[in-house]
Amino acid sequence: MNSREDILSRVRANLGRTDSNALSGRTALNAYLRARPQGPRPKIDGDPVARFRAKSELLSSTVEEVSAANRVPQAVARYLAAHRLPAQAVCWPALADLPWGPSGIAVAARPATGSDLIGITGCFCALAETGTLMLCSGPDTPAATSLLPETHIAIVPAKRILIGMEEAWNLARSELGEMPRAVNFISGPSRTGDIEQTIVLGAHGPYRVHIVIVRGE
Amino acid sequence: MRVGLFVTCLVDMMRPRIGFAALKLLEAAGCEVVVPTEQTCCGQPAYNSGDREAARQLAIKLLDEFESCEYVVAPSGSCAGMIRTHYVDLAGEGEALARRMAALATRTYELTDFLVNVAKFDQVPGDYRGSITYHDSCAGLRELGVKEQPRALLAKLPGLTLNEMQGAEECCGFGGTFSVKFGELSAAIAGKKCDAILASGSDAIVGGDLGCLMNIEGKLRRMGDEKTQVLHVAEILSGTAKGAA
Amino acid sequence: MHFKARAGQKLADVLLQENLGKAKSKFVGMRAKAIVEVDAFEATREAAKSLRDRALDDLDLWLEHFEQQAARRGAVVLWARDSAEICRLVIDIARRHGVRKVTKSKSMLSEEAGLNLALEAAGIQPVETDLGEYILQINDNEAPSHIIAPVFHKSKEEISALFARTHQRPALTDIQALTREAREVLRPHFLSAEMGISGGNFLVAETGSVALVTNEGNGRMVTTLPKVHVVITGIEKVIPTLEDLSTLMRLLPRSATGQSISNYFSLLTGVRGQQESDGPEHLYFILVDNGRADMVGGEFAEMLRCIRCGACMNHCPVYQAVGGHAYGWVYPGPMGSILTPLFTGLENAIDLPQAATLCNQCGVVCPVKIPLPDLLRKLREKQVERHLRPLTERLALRVWGWVARHPRLYAISTQVAVRYLKWLAHDGDRNDRIRILGMATEWTRGRDFPAPEGKTFREMYAARKGKP
Repeated sequence: MNSREDILSRVRANLGRTDSNALSGRTALNAYLRARPQGPRPKIDGDPVARFRAKSELLSSTVEEVSAANRVPQAVARYLAAHRLPAQAVCWPALADLPWGPSGIAVAARPATGSDLIGITGCFCALAETGTLMLCSGPDTPAATSLLPETHIAIVPAKRILIGMEEAWNLARSELGEMPRAVNFISGPSRTGDIEQTIVLGAHGPYRVHIVIVRGE
Repeated sequence: MRVGLFVTCLVDMMRPRIGFAALKLLEAAGCEVVVPTEQTCCGQPAYNSGDREAARQLAIKLLDEFESCEYVVAPSGSCAGMIRTHYVDLAGEGEALARRMAALATRTYELTDFLVNVAKFDQVPGDYRGSITYHDSCAGLRELGVKEQPRALLAKLPGLTLNEMQGAEECCGFGGTFSVKFGELSAAIAGKKCDAILASGSDAIVGGDLGCLMNIEGKLRRMGDEKTQVLHVAEILSGTAKGAA
Repeated sequence: MHFKARAGQKLADVLLQENLGKAKSKFVGMRAKAIVEVDAFEATREAAKSLRDRALDDLDLWLEHFEQQAARRGAVVLWARDSAEICRLVIDIARRHGVRKVTKSKSMLSEEAGLNLALEAAGIQPVETDLGEYILQINDNEAPSHIIAPVFHKSKEEISALFARTHQRPALTDIQALTREAREVLRPHFLSAEMGISGGNFLVAETGSVALVTNEGNGRMVTTLPKVHVVITGIEKVIPTLEDLSTLMRLLPRSATGQSISNYFSLLTGVRGQQESDGPEHLYFILVDNGRADMVGGEFAEMLRCIRCGACMNHCPVYQAVGGHAYGWVYPGPMGSILTPLFTGLENAIDLPQAATLCNQCGVVCPVKIPLPDLLRKLREKQVERHLRPLTERLALRVWGWVARHPRLYAISTQVAVRYLKWLAHDGDRNDRIRILGMATEWTRGRDFPAPEGKTFREMYAARKGKP
């Protein structure tokens, strides 16, 4: 008997599995998958954008808002200058057409490598409940751009700020159909508390996360 | 109210005055108190050691002795908890016995819980003068929800100040047979409890379980403290413990 | 060495005691603050318990569904009965893909299996990347002392010395600097490893995915950069839906470290798409038994609900006193005291179920409401059934039980005993005087034995009533 059969047969025996209860079990399983009930959820009142902003800042991300997408490069340029970071980044292809040049930032629309210091991404959506970005991997939304560089800049359309994870899954199901290879929820710069339970930012992922919320188009 | 007083084996052997204090309180609360004379042990040491059979026999004995009482009250969260939450488990397959155990369980109370919630007693006869800190025993707190009840009663004593210590709800390290199976570890945990007690700057440490109190007292004395009084809440409430003054 | 002897050593370890004290206040305090955000915390725990039970009660069906969904997305699902098989499967996969170096993010199962040693023996270099696990690896593969914070027991001075020795660089004292150094040392490994191994916090049956909860970014590195990704996790980790995952994610980070959400939380499904530039080309799941299948549907089945948050050990007075290494195996604290005997054999872990006061602080904080003290007591019952308890203990309990059932005998014995004890204590030199059945010396190891009043309640009550 191979391992799979060995393990499953012992599980079945311990559960008292019969053909008839397997049938009813599968019916219940499929019904549950269709129903997908949510668990108890905390009450999240007020403006989701304001909450998202407040929670993100608590997690040591920095956040600013601009009125339109074409104002993003200026905001990013100011941020980079303020932190004395180089005005050179890689970005997701969909962001390549923003007016980076006039803001003085050299942006290459290609996946990040180990030596890129700044990665600029969009997001699939964001969660107000915890101040979290949700990024879905894909040919035009490579996961490494938000991971390898020391600085991650995320552009978040205000209308994509949802209440919580449950809304995010539903949006992913309806817009993407299937789950992408990687759904990455990002809540601030990387950190570790392994040494003396002292939190340090910038473990293996980015040291800093800057979020630019875009109110308009 | 006809109350059967289960003093517990520890009180019987080590501190009878706690049994008398409980008796006095229950009578002051207007109860008719009976003390079944052949009572011994609730069976918890055997139960927690995994010897179900020994525990079961003691549970049946207690059931026979106390079944006719309207209420069963013990000055111990751990023994009351044993009866209230575990006796049904010990009844095993026998349906009739399980029903009797369940009935007994619903009528069994820790002392302060009974006084506050059943007897609705508030004319506390004690006259303790001094400051105390209160240790919440694990079984009383987590099995029976005993937390506010002793505090509500203690608050009725005008000369008494209650200082809450850090970690009042943390285990003192007694754990019944744990204290004699892992003595060093048990004493180390007791040491932390005693540090918190001493840091509270109180004249006395008070609790509802003699096992915890003996553990704490033993550790305090070994640590060189001879001043801090170690008292059962029944002693304070009944007036048999006077105070630091 | 048994738990008791190890515990004795740990109690005497001054540095460890200091570290334990610091860690306790952080974990306990932060969790307490974080759960306030959940609003209906108890209702959420109940929902978490219920969804875990839903999958466990039909574990075979949910595992099959997971397997189908995962395979549909290009993953290969393998099954391992035990540690040896886990190692064999991993090495096979590594060989098949020409893997010379493996980067690992946290996997308790790989600890169960002793995987790193097996990889090394097969000529494959494993590199731990979770900072705590990395520190242990370079310290001669020291075992972790906590399931969430593996170097809970180490001070920064110890770590500093270790880094200086291993990295051949000057010793740094600043925690930030030490972390930066680890980042620099590990980064090249992330970029060059051909295979990444991770654990799996949960397997989501609905989508055939694995959920990974991490903070450092190493979990993402290990599962994004190499061309092969292997997930090793227990069969009990399967949960039905993404909604269930969201419910558990409200409790897990808060219970573990007091965070509202972990820094990174990833749902990984299938292999890299045609035009994607990152992600593994090959994804393997190794679903592990190693003792779990036997627990299904049995007396200890509730333990399978465990989501490995570590709250139980953080709140346990025994763990707080001695730390994780005293427990002797992969899993410490209350959950370890239950799993170690079940996974490695009751006779191999005699002390563990006994080393608890049954205070139930663990049960109160467990996000999936496992009745840990009840399971510990059941293990004690099993020990008694299998005659694994010492004779003195069995005798003492039997004698006590027998005497307690004979009230007159009880009356006489206790009256004699308390007079004797009072006499013993009388001189004030009580500590080394009390030696009854060997048990009292355990008591007096660290504290005094308060003297009894000298008469029993029963005799005094009878006297007051005027009865003979």
